[in-house]
Amino acid sequence: MSEVRGARSRAVRRAAPWLVLVAAAAALPLLSGDPTITYLATTAGIYVLVGTGLNLMFGYTGQVSLGQGALVAVGAYTTGILMADHAWTFWAAAPVAVAVAVGAGTLMALPAFRLSSWYIALVTLGAAMAARSLLVEFEGLTGGWSGLMGIPRPALGPWELGERDILWLVLAVNVMLFVMVRTIVGSRLGRGMMAVRDAPEMAQSVGVAPARMKLFAFACGGATAGLGGALLAVHHGLVTPDDFTLDFSILFLLVVIIGGAARLAGPVIGTLLFFALPELLTGLAEWRGLIYGAALLVLMVYAPQGVAGAWEKLRARRRSSGVPADTAHTDTADADPGVPIEAGPPRGEPLGVELIGVRKSFGGVHALRGIDLTIEPGTVHAIVGPNGSGKTTLLNVISRLLRQDEGQVILDAEDVSRAPAERLARRGVARVFQTPRLLGTSSLRDNVLLGAYTRERSGGPAIVLRLPWARREQAELAEEADRLLAGHGLAGRASEEAASLPHGEQRLLEVARALMARPRLLLMDEPAAGLTPRELESLGRLIRAIRDTGTTVVLVEHHIELVASVADVVTVLDRGRLVTSGPPQEALGDARVVEVYLGAPA
Amino acid sequence: MIADILVAGLVFGSLYGLVAVGFNVLHRPTNVVNFAQGELIMIGAMLMAATPIGGLPWGVAAACVMVIVAVVALAEERVAVTPVLRRSSHAVGWVITTLAFSLLLAEAAGRLWTDQPSAVAPPWPLSMRVQEVLGVRFSSYQVAVVVVAVAVVALLGVLDRSRLGTALRAVAADRDGARLRGIDPTALTRRSFLLGGALAGLTGVLAAPLLLASVTMGLGLLIKGFAALAVGGIGDNRGVLVAGWMLGVIEATGAVFASPGSQSVVLFAAMLLILLIRPNGLRGLAVQRHV
Repeated sequence: MSEVRGARSRAVRRAAPWLVLVAAAAALPLLSGDPTITYLATTAGIYVLVGTGLNLMFGYTGQVSLGQGALVAVGAYTTGILMADHAWTFWAAAPVAVAVAVGAGTLMALPAFRLSSWYIALVTLGAAMAARSLLVEFEGLTGGWSGLMGIPRPALGPWELGERDILWLVLAVNVMLFVMVRTIVGSRLGRGMMAVRDAPEMAQSVGVAPARMKLFAFACGGATAGLGGALLAVHHGLVTPDDFTLDFSILFLLVVIIGGAARLAGPVIGTLLFFALPELLTGLAEWRGLIYGAALLVLMVYAPQGVAGAWEKLRARRRSSGVPADTAHTDTADADPGVPIEAGPPRGEPLGVELIGVRKSFGGVHALRGIDLTIEPGTVHAIVGPNGSGKTTLLNVISRLLRQDEGQVILDAEDVSRAPAERLARRGVARVFQTPRLLGTSSLRDNVLLGAYTRERSGGPAIVLRLPWARREQAELAEEADRLLAGHGLAGRASEEAASLPHGEQRLLEVARALMARPRLLLMDEPAAGLTPRELESLGRLIRAIRDTGTTVVLVEHHIELVASVADVVTVLDRGRLVTSGPPQEALGDARVVEVYLGAPA
Repeated sequence: MIADILVAGLVFGSLYGLVAVGFNVLHRPTNVVNFAQGELIMIGAMLMAATPIGGLPWGVAAACVMVIVAVVALAEERVAVTPVLRRSSHAVGWVITTLAFSLLLAEAAGRLWTDQPSAVAPPWPLSMRVQEVLGVRFSSYQVAVVVVAVAVVALLGVLDRSRLGTALRAVAADRDGARLRGIDPTALTRRSFLLGGALAGLTGVLAAPLLLASVTMGLGLLIKGFAALAVGGIGDNRGVLVAGWMLGVIEATGAVFASPGSQSVVLFAAMLLILLIRPNGLRGLAVQRHV
C-alpha cells in the first residue's frame, strides 16, 4: 500500500515542475499587459510542439530530418488555403492540415525503406528545397512570394478566439502531446525506436521492422509539424514562403539538440533557451545564423546529450556520491545465477531448421560454399570451426540478417529463404550477439522488455490511449522482466543504465533479453567468450535448462569443452564447407576435424 | 534543340559529378558524407570572383584557391569531424557537425562578400563564345569543363590503384585492422580532407564562369551533387560522373519543358524514384553489411 502511495507521490513530484511551467505560461497574458509577451509565448509554444515531434524522429529514432520546417509550411499553407480561400473553420482545417503533413512526412521518409540513415538527412534537405520552390510555383494556390493573407482566427460559434485564447489552446495541445509522447517512449514503440537508432540489426532480431519504425516516427513528426503549422497560420494571420527557410528547419534540430535529444524535456528547454532568449535580446538577431552554426558544432562535440542530459548526469553523480558504494549490488552479482528459467515456457513447440545448398560470398570471399544441414527441434546444436570457417555467416543466414546468394532456409517446414529477420522474431526466433548490442542509455528493465517486443498484444492506439488492458499487459511484462533480471544475478538493478554494466553482465543482459522473447529457437553467437570458468559452468547449465523447457538452441562456439558438455549434435565447418555433423564424441573425434584444427599429420 | 539540352546537361552534369566525386574522396577513409562540400565549392568560386586572387594568372589563381579551400577543409576535419568520429557515440554526429560547419562557412561568406552574384571570365584562350559545329552549339570553355571532369575521374582511378588507394580501401573496410598493418587512419583522413578540399576548390573555380558566383550557390550544388552521388552509387567515381551527366540532362530537359521554378522539383522527384528502385545506385556496387 505504502509503495503505491510512494510511487504516486514520486509521480506528483516529477510532474510538479511541468505543472508550474504550464501554469506560469498560461498566466502570462493575465500578468502582463504587453501583447508581444503573449505573442512570443504562443510562438514558443508552437515551436515546442514541432520540436517534440522532431525529438521522436531525431532523438529517439536517430533520423536527422532537415525537412521539419517544410512540413510546418505544409500544415500552415493547408490551413491558410482552406480558411482564407474556402472559408473553412479552423476545427475542420486543422485535421486536414495534420493529415496532409503526415502524408508529406511519410513521403519524405520513403527512402528509409531501403537506405541508411544519413541519406534521410540529404533527402529531407532536398525535399525542403523542392517544397519551397513548389510554394512559389503554384502561385494561384499559395499566393507566390507574397503568400496568403487574411487567415481568420479560430472561432467557437460566434465567439472568435483572441490572442490569449490561442496561447491557451497551444498550451493545452502541448500538454496532451507531452503525455502521449511520454507514453509512446515508455512503451514497446519507444523501445523499438531506440533499438532502430542504437542497433538496427538487434532491432530486427527482436522483431522490430526498422523501415516501418522510421515511417512511424516520420508520421508522428509530420503530425506535430502539421498541427504546429495550422496553429502558426492562425496565430500569425498570414503565411509567406520566407517564414519557411532552411534556417527554420535547422532551428528545430538545434532546439532538440541544445535541450537534449531523446529527453522529454529537451524541446522545452531548447526552445526556451534558444528561441525565447535571442527573441528578447533583439540585438542578437543579426547574428542568428552564426549562433546556430557555432552552437550546433560545439554542442555536438562537447555535450551531445544537451542541457537535459548534462543535468541528469549531474544529478546521477550527486545521488551516487550520497549513497555509500553499492554494496547491495555486488552481493547479488556474486551470487551464483543458478538456473534462471524465470521466463515461463516457450511460445510453442521448438523450431527446427533445414538448410539446403546455402551459399554466400562477400566479394571474392566464399564464406559458405553449399551447406546442407538439418537442425532437429529441441536439441542443442553446436557449430564449431576455426576462424573464418563461416560460423557467424551461417548464423546470420539462419536469422535472416544476411540473405544467402543461393539455396534455401526452411524453418519448421516453412520456406523463409526470402523472409526478413523481423518476421522470424515473430515466429519465435531469438538471438544473442557476439558483442552485446544493447540500448546503452536505457534501463536494464527496458533492455529486457525489448525482448518481448513481438509478445505484446496491445496495438499502438491502445498503448497511446493508455487503455486498461494495455497497461495491465505492460505491468505484467515488466514484472516478468524483473524476475528474469533477478534470475541472472541483476536483481534490484532494473533501473540502472545498461551502458554502465561491465562486459560480462552486458552479455547476461543479452541472454535475459533473448529469453524474454520465450523463444522456440535461440541462436547464440560465442556466448562463452571472455567468461570465467565459474561463469562458463553456469552458462552450460543455463543452455541445457533452456533446451529442457522446449527451445532449440543453435550455438556457435570456440570453447570445445563447453560444446562437448552441452551439445546434442556438433557440426564442424571449415572454409565454408561442412566437414562433419554428429554427436559430440563422434564429431569432435573425427580425424578430419583434428586435421582442420591442428593441421594434417606430417 | 536536343543538342542544346545535351550540351547544357553534360556541362552542368560535369559540375554535379565533380561535387559527388568530392563526396567520394572524403567518404573513403571516414564514412562521412561532407555536408559542407557545397559551401567549400562556394568559397572556391567566391575567391575567384570577389578577391584579388581572381586577378592573378589563371593557373596561379586556381592553385591558390585549391590550397586555401584545402586548408579550410582541413580545419573542418580538425574541428568538426575527428572529434565526433573519435567518440562515435551516435552515427548521426557528423551529419550535424558538418552541417553546422557549412552554416558557419555560409554565414562567414555572407559577411565577407556581398550577395550580389558576379560573373567570372573563363581563362584565356578559352571563352564562353558560342561556336557551331555540325549544328551543335557550344563554347570552348564548356568543352574544357567536361574534359577536366573526365580527367579528374581518370586521375583518381590511377590514384586508387596506387599504394595510397590500397591503404584507403583498407581503412574504409576496417579502421582498426588497418592500424594493425601500420596504416595511420587519422593521417589518411587528414590527407583525404586536403584532397577533397582541393577538389572542391577546383570545382568552384570551374563553376565560377558557368554559374554566377554567389554566396548562396553552395546549397544547390550540395543537393545536386548528392543526387549524383546517390544515383551513381557511393564510392564509384565513374558512376557518379555518369549520374551527374544524366541529372544534368534531366534538369536541362526540365528547364525547356517546365518552368524554371519546377526544375529542382523534377530533379528531386527523379532522384527519389531512382533511389526507391535502385537504392545502391544505378551500377549498384552494393556494400555488404556485416554483423
